[in-house]
Amino acid sequence: MLEVRDLKVAFPKEEPGSKLVDWAVKGISFSMGRGEILAIIGESGSGKSMTALSIAGLLPPDAVSSGEILFNKKDLMALSKEGRRMVQGKDISMIFQEPMTSLNPVMKIGKQIEEVLVLHTGLSKAERKERVCKALLDAGLADPERLCQSYPHQLSGGMRQRVMIAMASVLKPQLMIADEPTTALDKRIQGQILRLLKQINTEKKMGILFISHNLEVVKDFCDRILVMYQGEIVESGTPEEIFQNPKEEYTKKLLASIPKGKQIVKKEILEKKPVLEVRNLNVYYTEKRKQKRQVIFNANFTIYEKEIVGLVGDSGGGKSSLSKAILGINKDIKGEICHFTEYPQMVFQDPYGSLNPVKRIGWILEEPLRIQGRLKKAERKEKVLHLLERVGLDRAYAGRRPGELSGGQRQRVCIALALILESRFIIADEPVSALDVTIQAQILELLKELKEEYKLSYLFISHDMAVINEMCDRILRLEDGKLYEEI
Amino acid sequence: MKQIGKKTGTLIITLLFISFASFFAFQVIPGDPALSVLGMDATEQQVAVFRKEMGLDKPLLVRYGNWVWNFAQGDFGRSYHYRTPVSGLLGDKLPVTLTLTLISFSFVLLISIPFGILMAKFAESRLGKAANVVNQVLMSVPSFFLGVLLVLVFGLLLKWFTPGKYISYTESITGFLLYLIAPAAAIAIPKSAMVIKFLRSSVLEQRKHNYVRTAYSKGSPENRVLFIHILKNASIPVITILGMMIADIMAGSIVVEQVFNIPGVGRLLVSSIGYRDYPVVQAIIVYIASTVVIVNFIVDMVYRLVDPRIREA
Repeated sequence: MLEVRDLKVAFPKEEPGSKLVDWAVKGISFSMGRGEILAIIGESGSGKSMTALSIAGLLPPDAVSSGEILFNKKDLMALSKEGRRMVQGKDISMIFQEPMTSLNPVMKIGKQIEEVLVLHTGLSKAERKERVCKALLDAGLADPERLCQSYPHQLSGGMRQRVMIAMASVLKPQLMIADEPTTALDKRIQGQILRLLKQINTEKKMGILFISHNLEVVKDFCDRILVMYQGEIVESGTPEEIFQNPKEEYTKKLLASIPKGKQIVKKEILEKKPVLEVRNLNVYYTEKRKQKRQVIFNANFTIYEKEIVGLVGDSGGGKSSLSKAILGINKDIKGEICHFTEYPQMVFQDPYGSLNPVKRIGWILEEPLRIQGRLKKAERKEKVLHLLERVGLDRAYAGRRPGELSGGQRQRVCIALALILESRFIIADEPVSALDVTIQAQILELLKELKEEYKLSYLFISHDMAVINEMCDRILRLEDGKLYEEI
Repeated sequence: MKQIGKKTGTLIITLLFISFASFFAFQVIPGDPALSVLGMDATEQQVAVFRKEMGLDKPLLVRYGNWVWNFAQGDFGRSYHYRTPVSGLLGDKLPVTLTLTLISFSFVLLISIPFGILMAKFAESRLGKAANVVNQVLMSVPSFFLGVLLVLVFGLLLKWFTPGKYISYTESITGFLLYLIAPAAAIAIPKSAMVIKFLRSSVLEQRKHNYVRTAYSKGSPENRVLFIHILKNASIPVITILGMMIADIMAGSIVVEQVFNIPGVGRLLVSSIGYRDYPVVQAIIVYIASTVVIVNFIVDMVYRLVDPRIREA
């Protein structure tokens, strides 16, 4: 059905006048059968997304591409814009990583799905409506009539991704391209979306090209895997072949960076010093002028020195409210929160948004010391540089701005920032979920090292059970505002 | 409905605040209206009589209270200079300025929306880049200077109107409207350039959003993506600019009315300040302020129509 031959994608280099290009995809070839699920795995920058966008005809305007993409023996690359349009949405559809922003915020859901039918069919209004409702039902969404009248902001991330899937399958295209469709979603929702895609694949005989950085996600899902690295396909095979007998070094590295679950041994904690004690904690939350709501009910727990405690639970289950209460940001609480060290610091999920983009790294790191009036200027500078080295960054990074750093490097800066006031208790809220899997492993390793060196304790919030199992000594689960300890 | 009620409450409080500020400002700034009306060599007795006649001898707060109370009932007080009711003075000037403002604003909409869209669509092309430079120039030309140029073109060359010879709407509606075209254009051109700039960059900004990629993935042609998807999203910040612009246009008309010899509120305002004719000045300020506040009220309502996310907030 689909055959890609010697596909190359390049971008002009940033410097003006330069004729050089940066290669994103360096001449790859592969094919895909009707109804097959093919996964392309690789880290960001491997060219996997550019491959997907080439097939969907959605490359950015400045990209240059060559090669052949044969779809039912017709070369898509040779088609005119108009010819390409006839294929887009009808024979090849696409869903994206960002369900929150991929839908038009000011257009009703029904209208957005209907647009595909308006563009490619001559169906009447009533027929279109029927098809839209059917597609929504097939995507596992109840009450399609009402949903058609809703706007995207009224839906959760998982629901929006289902709407995208409904939109991408309403015309039963032969190929659906799914670019990291579950990466931005909660673990539990991830599973549901994968099951839904599998179901649509079987029922509607739709081939799926699944792009992901996460080998674990595609393991039980796809028929074949291509591993991409630096614009080339380095390995391909069935999931069994890849998982049991990886040939390439890079594939082995990818496999190794999947956090493996381990036996949790309850450690001797009795003689250890506590860093945080929470007794009979109730946390309340007042939505804008609405009724006050209790989000945490009577929580009790203690975190000891050098301990990593995982906090898991559904999104909206109160994880953030609990961490805000511990940090002292949320003051609407009843109960006791005892800190035995310096105030806790926080490492956030989003290393891009957490650092002021116009300041230099050195300035950002020094700021807490400056505000607190600690140390002399030279000592402050020295401390910043030392800490930068400690989190695995060169001293020269003090002079750079956040925009010049990669996601992993920025998260290292955020970790240094959490340590600068010598706090020994850190709340890490999804600290690696925005990062590539190989980078994830490095950051987790760094957190463990720092724990040993500085005798740190972490409250580690994540929805990724693999990461939690890898990192944590104990796990607390929040369900409907009640806290349970898992053993 | 509840929202509208709340907004109306805010509206009234804002207007009260503005009236209070404008009333007291003129009590504090130097210059005695009695002297400016009667002349520097008026006797003390003459001044006392004038002050009593105009109610200036009462305490400040009483005068403010009386003024607001009368104002609310449509009695804007008496002009010191002309010794006639202010409402009468404003009565024949308001329609002129209001018409000028409305025509200018329509010009802004008619010029900026199509050009803003076109310039965004062709932003990468040479023509688009050149148009952007021209637009920058137009944005920085002052209205009174444009006014002079337009008198030359429409008045002396095209002879649509006779410069300086204002035709009142009571004489001939067509003549009146033709006379207003050039001043309205003088006001509208720099403002349109500004709206074009905002609309263009707003469209360009929206083009980068993920929903646009989704629209293309469905097979939407470029124009459909622009008009059906991008435009409504891009218009949200532009609506704010348009709302603020109404106030600007009214302020602009004050200057342009001078250039074109139009007997509107602007001319009256300038002369009244010279005469220390505070009742007139205060009435005009409250008029301008109310228009601005009411326009903002309308802008809020339009927002609600365009952006479903605001409707629920």
